[in-house]
Amino acid sequence: MAKNILIVDDSESIRELVAYTLEGSGYNVVKGNDGVEALQKLNGAEFNLVITDLNMPNMDGIQLIQEVRKKEGYSTIPILMLTTESQQSKKEEAKAAGATGWIVKPFVPEKLLDVIKKIIR
Amino acid sequence: MNEQTELLQSFLTFRLGDEIFAANVSKVLEILEIPKITRVPRSPAFMRGVINLRGSVLPVIDMRAKFGLPTVPDTVNSCIVVMNISLEAQTIVLGAVVDDVQEVMEIEPESIQAAPTVGTKYRTGFIEGMTKLNDQFIMILNLDLVFSDEEAILLQEISESDVPAEKNK
Amino acid sequence: MEHLRSLFLDEATELLTDLEKGLLKLESNPADTDGIANVFRCMHSLKGSAQMFGFDSINALTHQLESIYQAIREGKQTLTPPILEVTYSCLDHLGKLLNDPMVAGTTLQLAQVHLLEEIGKLAEAENVLTTGDHVLAPEEGKGSCWYISFVPEENILQHGTNTLYLIEDLLALGSGLALPYLVKPLEWEYADAGKNYTAFEVLLETSCDEAAIREVFIFVETECELVIRPFPVNFFSFTEPVRQQVYRAHTIDRPMGYSALSTLLMPGAHLPIDSIITSQRNGKGSVRVPSERLDDLMNLVSELVTTQARLTLFATESTVGELVTISENVEKITRRLRDNAFSMSLIPVESLVVRFQRLVRDLSKELNKEVIFKTEGTETEIDKSIIEKLTDPVLHLLRNALDHGIESPDKRHQQGKPRQGTVLLKAYYSGTNVVIEINDDGAGIDLERVKQKAVATGIIRSDDPLREDELIQLIFHPGFSTAEHVTGVSGRGVGMDVVKRNITDIQGEIEVITKPALGTTFVIRLPLTLSIIDGLLVSTGSTRFILPIAAVRKCYEVETTLLENETHHQVVLDNQRIPVFNLCKVFTPDEPVPFLSQVITVQYNKKTFGLAVESIIGEYQAVLKPLGNRYRKQDEFSGATILGDGTVALVVDPNKLIRNLTGKEETRISIKPI
Repeated sequence: MAKNILIVDDSESIRELVAYTLEGSGYNVVKGNDGVEALQKLNGAEFNLVITDLNMPNMDGIQLIQEVRKKEGYSTIPILMLTTESQQSKKEEAKAAGATGWIVKPFVPEKLLDVIKKIIR
Repeated sequence: MNEQTELLQSFLTFRLGDEIFAANVSKVLEILEIPKITRVPRSPAFMRGVINLRGSVLPVIDMRAKFGLPTVPDTVNSCIVVMNISLEAQTIVLGAVVDDVQEVMEIEPESIQAAPTVGTKYRTGFIEGMTKLNDQFIMILNLDLVFSDEEAILLQEISESDVPAEKNK
Repeated sequence: MEHLRSLFLDEATELLTDLEKGLLKLESNPADTDGIANVFRCMHSLKGSAQMFGFDSINALTHQLESIYQAIREGKQTLTPPILEVTYSCLDHLGKLLNDPMVAGTTLQLAQVHLLEEIGKLAEAENVLTTGDHVLAPEEGKGSCWYISFVPEENILQHGTNTLYLIEDLLALGSGLALPYLVKPLEWEYADAGKNYTAFEVLLETSCDEAAIREVFIFVETECELVIRPFPVNFFSFTEPVRQQVYRAHTIDRPMGYSALSTLLMPGAHLPIDSIITSQRNGKGSVRVPSERLDDLMNLVSELVTTQARLTLFATESTVGELVTISENVEKITRRLRDNAFSMSLIPVESLVVRFQRLVRDLSKELNKEVIFKTEGTETEIDKSIIEKLTDPVLHLLRNALDHGIESPDKRHQQGKPRQGTVLLKAYYSGTNVVIEINDDGAGIDLERVKQKAVATGIIRSDDPLREDELIQLIFHPGFSTAEHVTGVSGRGVGMDVVKRNITDIQGEIEVITKPALGTTFVIRLPLTLSIIDGLLVSTGSTRFILPIAAVRKCYEVETTLLENETHHQVVLDNQRIPVFNLCKVFTPDEPVPFLSQVITVQYNKKTFGLAVESIIGEYQAVLKPLGNRYRKQDEFSGATILGDGTVALVVDPNKLIRNLTGKEETRISIKPI
């Protein structure tokens, strides 16, 4: 069965790029604008992976990660964060909040697929 | 008797039914109370089973059955005589259940008569001789021969003994 | 001095074995420089020590041989068949010399002189230098070896990491093996499925660099302890024998450790029968142990296992809480000690193969047949006491295969077969058994002739209808031989009945499969070990039995009435009809039958059978004690064991049990007893 991935980013272009890349490789993609929307999408639906940006309005990535980890049924779901090079400390913070791994922006689509393969199979 | 020059003349006497048998103490290792005997399924009736003797597995034979006597439940006097048997260049250790063990006694060689060849209940060959003590006949066994033929019950075929046993009490 | 001399004799014997092995290899690949260097080294060592201990005649011979191989090594001479022949003869001669160093016997003296002459001639003969390269096996692009220790923290799973993916990625970098272990002893009642208790050691051979290895763990660096070290074993590839060696030494309750692994995997392992851990050429890291000491060790371990059973029983019945924990620990350590001691008396089949190869080679020459000897699975290990008794029967089967099985090259050609026949020796594990197969692609066993011969010798009557498999069994009857002429090789009828008896003496079974013109296979099944087995303690009535755990598939609870109802005593378990034998009825028919029975499924002849017992008590390490001669007819019991409470439980051999139980249900023509 195809895997379901939730992409959370306030930038539409990023969302579309990620969705396009992942769907082209056989994944199902659901999009969310920010943390709040993301949590709503997660209500009971089955997901294999969450990819989230760190800087978002309403609820930023770190908080989203914390909330996901507290949410019943998703406490151990793999979570990838999108970071930029300059955000080292954020990376550690996100890790501490419970993120599984990260991808550095800007990224080539193939790299995204490689990293995803490290986390879900 | 024969050329058993190194033998002690001491014998252990034990009872099976109404009869007393004796065996040379050189063949007797020890005497045990009867512990729980584990029966080995589908083995002949006179094999009672196996027991634990200080970490080794010892086969135990029902001596009564071997001698053609009907089996009876063990009594408080029943015990297992552990013996050293020589068979075809091997020595094995066996246990045999007897009704009770009487004593260790010295038997003068002169008082041992040859076993009668006819008129006895048992096949001879394994009875080395007989002696009498206090009006009781005691049959002296060659234990190696008793156990040499695994299957054999030592009772004569009924037709072979025309004359009833001559023992008197 | 005597002591040193016997050391030399031991070493020399080993060297000769190595030499023989090396020669056999060289024969199929004469240009192998490593092989030649190896042979030269053996000669050199042998010569050196022979000198020291006064074995002058050995010295003389090896000195000459050494110079020839030196010349071959330097490319001044090639290894020709005559040289090989002479070397083989010298080998045999050297073996005799070891027993009689002063060459007192005249036959030996003559042989010595003769050999020296031959060698001299060969040394002087002019040989063509091979032009161009010796064909070397190309070095594969080997990278280097690494030891990786990955100890994830307990909460790592909470972050969505799957540690197994990491290990997969790691192994994908090259080839290697992963050895998981529990970080601390696990108490199953308190285990949390969300926590991680497993750490990994990985040996990896890869052409990637350290950075690439570290890259695998990039996301979890802060959540684990990671150690990456170069691993010192260099000419190394993870072949099956190596893997098996490591897996065998591996246990799940602690890491093996860098030093232990590197010691374990030092090159040059081969195990002569009489001493255990190898002595390498470099002399590092292993010890010669006399077999009696090993036997003593095994006996002590057996006693420990028995006493520990008593301790466990006592602990569970006592009110002192800590006693249970301690006795559990004792049980775990005893189990490890037992496995450890066992592995010391296991020897790979490989150690016998040299003898077999030699036999095939010599025999095929003598019989003018072309035969190649192949082996598979020779790293399979067998208890040393069993292996010693296996040599003779296998040798005989091989002789038969060569003598009667494989046809002459011309005959084979006529039948469209390759002129060269193949004899295959295969060894592998199957359940609780080690299996050795000897297969030839020859003519197969002529069942008509078997039947005729059996009738002629009065074993059966000519009108007895016999199935094919019964006909084949006749070859195991004593006094039976179908050789048209008695060759000096196989002899007359001394064969198969002795072979069968040798095998049953070590609690094994032998089976024959034959197809006309296609060949014959002998399948020998042997128990893995004769002394201590992991068993399942069960009971019927008041008697307790042990079933080897390795034979057990699954356990079910079934109402006993169900076992009686069906006509063929079949019960449906997991949607399959499985024939079930009610052991309560078979073993303890005089005792009351329980309402509920436990059915344990086992495999026999590739079919599943069920054995119903009254209750399953638990697991038990059974020290196997023989039942003795008196009970040899009850072969469904491989022995007995003493339980913690001092009573005796019988150890069941499921194969023989089912064979006996199914045999009773058929009526067959009985073959005249021996």
